[in-house]
Amino acid sequence: MTQLVIGQMLNGVIVGSLYGIIALGVTLTFGLTGIVNFALGAFMMFGAYATWYLYDVVGLPYPAAVLGAVIFVSIVGYISDRALFQFTRGNLVNGLLVSIGMISVFEALVLAAFTTTPKDLTYVLPGALHVAGIVLPKIKVAVCVVFLAVIFGTYLALTRTWLGRAAFAYAQNPEAAALMGVRTGRLQTIVVVYSTALAGLGGGLYASMYSIEPTIGSAYILKAVEAAILAGVGSVIGALGGGIILGVSENLGSVFFPSAFRDAYGLVFLIAILLVRPGGLFGDRP
Amino acid sequence: MSGSKRALLAGIVASGLLWGQAARAEDVVKIGQIEALTGATATYGWMSAQGTKVAVEEINAKGGFKVGDKTYKLELLQMDTRGEPREATVQFRKMMEDKVHFVFGPFLTNVFNAIEPIANQNNGKFLLFAGATSAHNALGKPDHDYLLRTWNWDAGSVGFGKLMVDYLKKLHTKKVAMLFQNDAFGKTAVDIYSGLFKDAGIELQVELFEPGTKDFSASLAKLAAGKPDILFPGYSDAVLYDIVRQSTESGFGNRFFLVRGSIGPALKNKDAIQDYIAYVPKYFESAEKTEPKVKAFIESYKKIFKRDFPYDQAPLCSSSCYDHVYMLVEAMQKAGTVDDVAKIRAALLNMTYDGLWKIKYDKTGEAVFGFDVIHVRKGGAIETVQYDPTKE
Amino acid sequence: MKYAIAVGLLLALVAPAVVHSDSILAIAIYGFMAASLAVSFNLIFGFTGQLSMFHAASFGVSAYVVTILVTTFKWNFWLAIIPALVVVMILSLIVGTICFRFKLKEFYFAVVTMAFSEVLRLITLNWNSVTNGSLGITVVDKPSIWTPSGSFAISSGVSWYYLTLALLVIVYIICHRILASWIGRCLAAIRLNDQLGETLGIDVFKYKLLSFAIGSVLAGLVGAFYGFYSGFVEPHYFSIPLGLDIIAMVLLGGVNSLIGPVIGALVLTALPHVIELSAELRIALYGSILIFVILVMPKGIVGLLTSRKHAA
Repeated sequence: MTQLVIGQMLNGVIVGSLYGIIALGVTLTFGLTGIVNFALGAFMMFGAYATWYLYDVVGLPYPAAVLGAVIFVSIVGYISDRALFQFTRGNLVNGLLVSIGMISVFEALVLAAFTTTPKDLTYVLPGALHVAGIVLPKIKVAVCVVFLAVIFGTYLALTRTWLGRAAFAYAQNPEAAALMGVRTGRLQTIVVVYSTALAGLGGGLYASMYSIEPTIGSAYILKAVEAAILAGVGSVIGALGGGIILGVSENLGSVFFPSAFRDAYGLVFLIAILLVRPGGLFGDRP
Repeated sequence: MSGSKRALLAGIVASGLLWGQAARAEDVVKIGQIEALTGATATYGWMSAQGTKVAVEEINAKGGFKVGDKTYKLELLQMDTRGEPREATVQFRKMMEDKVHFVFGPFLTNVFNAIEPIANQNNGKFLLFAGATSAHNALGKPDHDYLLRTWNWDAGSVGFGKLMVDYLKKLHTKKVAMLFQNDAFGKTAVDIYSGLFKDAGIELQVELFEPGTKDFSASLAKLAAGKPDILFPGYSDAVLYDIVRQSTESGFGNRFFLVRGSIGPALKNKDAIQDYIAYVPKYFESAEKTEPKVKAFIESYKKIFKRDFPYDQAPLCSSSCYDHVYMLVEAMQKAGTVDDVAKIRAALLNMTYDGLWKIKYDKTGEAVFGFDVIHVRKGGAIETVQYDPTKE
Repeated sequence: MKYAIAVGLLLALVAPAVVHSDSILAIAIYGFMAASLAVSFNLIFGFTGQLSMFHAASFGVSAYVVTILVTTFKWNFWLAIIPALVVVMILSLIVGTICFRFKLKEFYFAVVTMAFSEVLRLITLNWNSVTNGSLGITVVDKPSIWTPSGSFAISSGVSWYYLTLALLVIVYIICHRILASWIGRCLAAIRLNDQLGETLGIDVFKYKLLSFAIGSVLAGLVGAFYGFYSGFVEPHYFSIPLGLDIIAMVLLGGVNSLIGPVIGALVLTALPHVIELSAELRIALYGSILIFVILVMPKGIVGLLTSRKHAA
C-alpha cells in the first residue's frame, strides 16, 4: 500500500510538471497582457504533432525533433500575436474568445493534415526504473527533469536578467515600467511567444509519453488554468507548485476514491485554497 | 436592427430553399450519413464515412446502377454531428425533409438515443443503418420498422462478446478488470459484460475514467492491487495505446482483452505484452494478401483519398460503411424499387451479401457477419480464430 | 430601437406561417432557448460585470430536476418547474455567497464558478441510480396546456416554436424590468467600479448576489424546457463548451445591450447548419468568424448596426 501511494504521488508530480509548464505560459501571458490564452492547449497539440512528424516521419533524432517543434510553434505564436493577440491586450474576455476561435482553426488544420487516427510516437526511452519496489517509467522521469529545469531556468531568467526584471516591473505597475524605459509592446510579444514556446515544448515531450489526437489540448489547458489560479497568477514557481498539487491530488484521489471523479479532486482543492487564500497559494495580490 | 433580423430570416429561408432544391433530381438515390467526423469521438464515424464515400464513388464511376429499366446514381450527404446529440437532431430532421430514404449511422450511443424519437415519427419513410450499441434494444419495437443495426451484437447465443468470454474461460481466467471510458457506450459495455462474465463465473472489477484521460497510472495501480488475470480496457484506439503502454511499462499487467479497438497497441508493445485478445471484424493486414475484394478496396481508398490506408481503423468498416452501400444497392435491385422502403427492408433481411464481409441480417434487423478473434502473443505472434455466424 | 424589436418580434410571430420546414423550426427553437440563456447570462456578465461560468450548471441542474420529477415521480411538468428553480436558486446563492464574500475578481470568479459547475457535472455523471449516468434520461412526455376545449400536448414543432418564443419574451421582459429599475442602476455602478459603488452606499455584495441568482434562475427556467423539447437530458448539458458558447453569443451580438445576445444566439445557432462544407472546413470557418467578430466588431452586431445608423 505504501508503495502504491508513494508511486502514485511521484506519478502525480510528473503529471503535475506537465500541467505546470503550460500553467507557466498561462501565468506569464496573463500577468503581462491581461488575457488568458486558452489556445495554449492547441499550441501544445501543435507541438506534439510537429514532434511526431519530425521524429517519426522525417526521421530526425528526438531532441532535434522537439527543438524543431518548439521553433515551429514559436513562429506560429509570433504570427498569432502580431495578427491577433496584440489587439486583445488587457481585454480578458476578447482574448479568451479569440483564443477559443483559434482552437477551432488549429484543430481543423491538424484534422485535415493528419486525420483523427491517433498517433503514437516510436518509443524514445523505453523501460522503467525500479527503486524500492516503486516502478517509474524512464521517459516520465526524464520529461519531468526537463520541465523542472525549464521552469527553474525561467525563474532565474526573470529574477536575474534585465528583461526579466522589466517583465516583473511591468506586471506590477505598467505605467511606472513604461516611464522607466521598458518597451512594453515588445516585452508583451516576447512573453506571448515564450509562452507558446513553453506549450510547444510541453507538447513535444508529451508526445514521448502519451498518444496524440487533435483534441488533446483542451484537457491540459483547463488543468493549466486551474494550476495557475491555484498558485496565484504571476508566480513562476507557483505555476509548478499548482500543477503538482493538481497532479498529486488527482492521482491519490483516484487511488482512494473512484477514478471517474478524477477531475473533481483537483477542483475541490482549488476551491478550498482560494477560500483560504483568495490570491492563490503563492500569490500575494487578491 | 430590423435589417439584421430580416437578413437572418432571409438567410434561413434561402438556405431552406437550397436544401429543397437538391431533392428534385429524379435519377439520384440519396444516402445520408450522420456521424461524428470531428471532435473527441470522431474515430468511429470517420472511418465509416470514408468507406461509404469509396463505395458511392466506385458505383457512380461505373455509371450508376440499374433498378428495373432505369439507371440511378448515388448522392452521399454527410453530416458531422461532432458527437453532439443536439446537432444530430437538427441534421436528422433536415434529412427527413430532404426525403432521404437511407440514413447511415450513427455509431455513437448518445446520438442514437437523441434521434430515436424523431426517427419513430418518420417510421415507414426511411431506413436507418445504425451501428450504435443502444440501437440493439430498440430493434423490433413498435414504430421501429426503419431500424437496422449494422454491428454484431455482443451478447446473445451467437454474440461475439459471449464467444470471446468463452475463449477467456478456456484460458482459465478467474478475474477480469474492466477499465472503461465513462460515457454512454462505456456504461452500456459495463452493463453488457457484467452479465456475460457473471454467467461465465468470472469475477469482475470495474473502474471508469473521464473522457480525455491520458495518464492511467492511478487507475491501473488500483486495479492491479486486486490481482486480476487480465485487463479489459476500452474503447478508443488512443486510449488503448496509452493503457497498454502504461500498464506494461510500470508492471501493472501484460494481458489484455478487448471488444472494441485495433491490435495496433499490441503490435507496438509486442515484446512487453503476454496476451492481447481482441475482437477484430477483419484483420486487414493479412486479408489484403488473400482476399481480392479487400485488396481492391484498399487500392480504391488510396486512389480516392490520396493517403495511406488506415489499417488500424479499417475494421470499423464493418459498420454502416462500404459493404452496406453495395448491399443496399443489391437489395434495391432485388426489390425492384428505390423508394419503397418496406420492400427494400424485406429484401435486405432475405439476402446474404458477400463483400469485404459476408453479411446478413437476422429477423429483427440486426447484422450478423463473420469476424476474427485475434490473439497476439509475446513477440508479436498472431493467432487468428475466424468465426462465421452467418452459417448458423 | 424599440420599433425595430417590435418588427422583429412580429416577423418571428408570423414566420411559422411561411416556413414549414421542421428542421428550420428546430433551429429557431434551439435559437430561442439559446437566446434566453444568453439574455439571462448578460444580466450577470454584461450588466454586472461578473464572468460567470456557472450558467451551464444552472441550466443543467434544472433540466435534470424537472426530468427526474416528471419521469420518475410522475409530477406534472409545470409543477416540477417550481422545485427545479428553487434548487437552482439555492445553489446559485451558495456559490454566489462564497465567491462574492471572498471578493473574487473577474478571472478568479470565472474559474471558481467553473469549478463548481464541473463538480456538479461529475456528480450528475456518476450518480447512476438517480441520473442514469452518462446515458442520460430519455424524455418521452411532452408538457400540455389547458385550453377551454381540453388539454393540448405541446409536441409539434410549431407549438414548441411559440412556447420557446414566449419563454424568450418573458426572460427578456424580466431582464428589461430589472435593468430599468433602481436595481439596474446599482448593477451599472458595480460594473463600472465596485469600490465607488460601496462608497455611494450600495450594498455591492447584495446586488451582485441578486444579479447572479436571478440570472441563474432564468437559465434554470430555460433548462426546464430544453430537456422536454430535445427529448433527453445528459451530463453534456453542464459542459464547459456550452458556457463558452453563451459568452460567444453575447459578445457576437453586443455586450452592452439586451437585444444583442438574442441576435448573437440566433446567428450562432443557425450558423453551423447554414455552412455546407466539409467537416474540417466548417469548424475552421466557425473559429475564423469568432476571431473576426471579436477583432473587427468589438461592440458586436448591435454595435455595428447602431454606429452605421449614426453615420448615415
